[in-house]
Amino acid sequence: MTDKIKYFVQQSWLLIVSSFCFGLLLAIANAAWSPRIEQNRINKLNALAGRLIPEANDFVPLEKMGVTIEVTTLKGDRKKVDIYKAMAGEQCLGWTFNAVGPGFQDKIELIIAVDKDFETIAGFDVLASNESPGTGERIKEKDFRKQFEGKPTVKLELIKSGKAKDNKILAISGATISSEFVVEIINHYIKEVREEMQKKGLLGNDKE
Amino acid sequence: MTKNSDTTAGIYKETLLAGLWRENPVFRLLLGMCPTLAVTAAVKPALTMGLSVIFVLVCSNIVVSLMRNLLKPHLRILMFTLTISTFVTIADLFLRAFQPVMSERLGPYVPLIIVNCIIICRAEACASKNNLVVSIIDAIGMGVGFTMTLCVLASIRELLSTGMIFEAKVMPDWFVPWAAMSMPVGAFITLGLLLGLVNRLTKGKS
Repeated sequence: MTDKIKYFVQQSWLLIVSSFCFGLLLAIANAAWSPRIEQNRINKLNALAGRLIPEANDFVPLEKMGVTIEVTTLKGDRKKVDIYKAMAGEQCLGWTFNAVGPGFQDKIELIIAVDKDFETIAGFDVLASNESPGTGERIKEKDFRKQFEGKPTVKLELIKSGKAKDNKILAISGATISSEFVVEIINHYIKEVREEMQKKGLLGNDKE
Repeated sequence: MTKNSDTTAGIYKETLLAGLWRENPVFRLLLGMCPTLAVTAAVKPALTMGLSVIFVLVCSNIVVSLMRNLLKPHLRILMFTLTISTFVTIADLFLRAFQPVMSERLGPYVPLIIVNCIIICRAEACASKNNLVVSIIDAIGMGVGFTMTLCVLASIRELLSTGMIFEAKVMPDWFVPWAAMSMPVGAFITLGLLLGLVNRLTKGKS
């Protein structure tokens, strides 16, 4: 038994010592830079949210108010959603939340903004995506995003031609699949987040 | 080998130049093809990837060279992977903290440096057999060679796909951007043409 342990130590001491040293190095790097990484994430969210609801001067995370919202994702699992209350002084102007779903090549992460009563969409922006350059990546373009502004928070419908009236969204030519994914993510998250917020008493219960 | 390759300075020079041209990791050894194809749609991400690889290559070569006499042959690949993954994680954290836009743009390709053949190849072929100075010079040579290749490829693709280089407009107004050059097809075609050109230039010289 002693020989076995001795053999084990002889063979693996370098690996064990190196693992410890490298682990320590990573812990130091992580401790030093993680506040900055978190701040970058918040800055990006705030910048995008600020563009969607420009009148707001503060975005208060619901978590700060002691409320955590979990929704069922498009994959079917439960996941926490970062919801921010857009404030102008004491007045609530709307809500922003992040949403994620499958894309054509990789997942698509969006930030969605709605009005305070969850009746109209204020807009959306793309937090992260890896769609095809020149086609699918055009979901980031203003012309496509602008269509969603002011739409009712009912189920949006994607059309390939015609005019984007009422609840209709005109797909990007050559990127119908990416457009479909965006509409699907927005439809799903608006419904889920609204239901969860109603359950928590943050919204009225008169919506379907 | 030239005459002066027998002297110490000659060995250092040979080692440095090998990575830049004679044993260029992309053009001559066909290593590191994944980032070469994936992040060369524009020069900035290509340069960032190249610098990250230089950092990881130099650090891992230093560590492997220092521990080369202690390595057990059957555990060496495990040690190389452990070393490389540590420095790649540090590079990834650094980019996320100080270059968040570029970090997002590079996406999973920074963590994927862990499985970049160039780094494990240099650890195995050079750092585990040579002293610290040679290992560092080899890492710099290979890293700079890799970065230069990426930048050449990215310059051509960015120029033709957007009419810009380093996001500065250089092509005249009449130029119609070739969208395909920013897609994978553009990467394969450009790399294929460059490899053909390099083979043509070096034909009979090896």
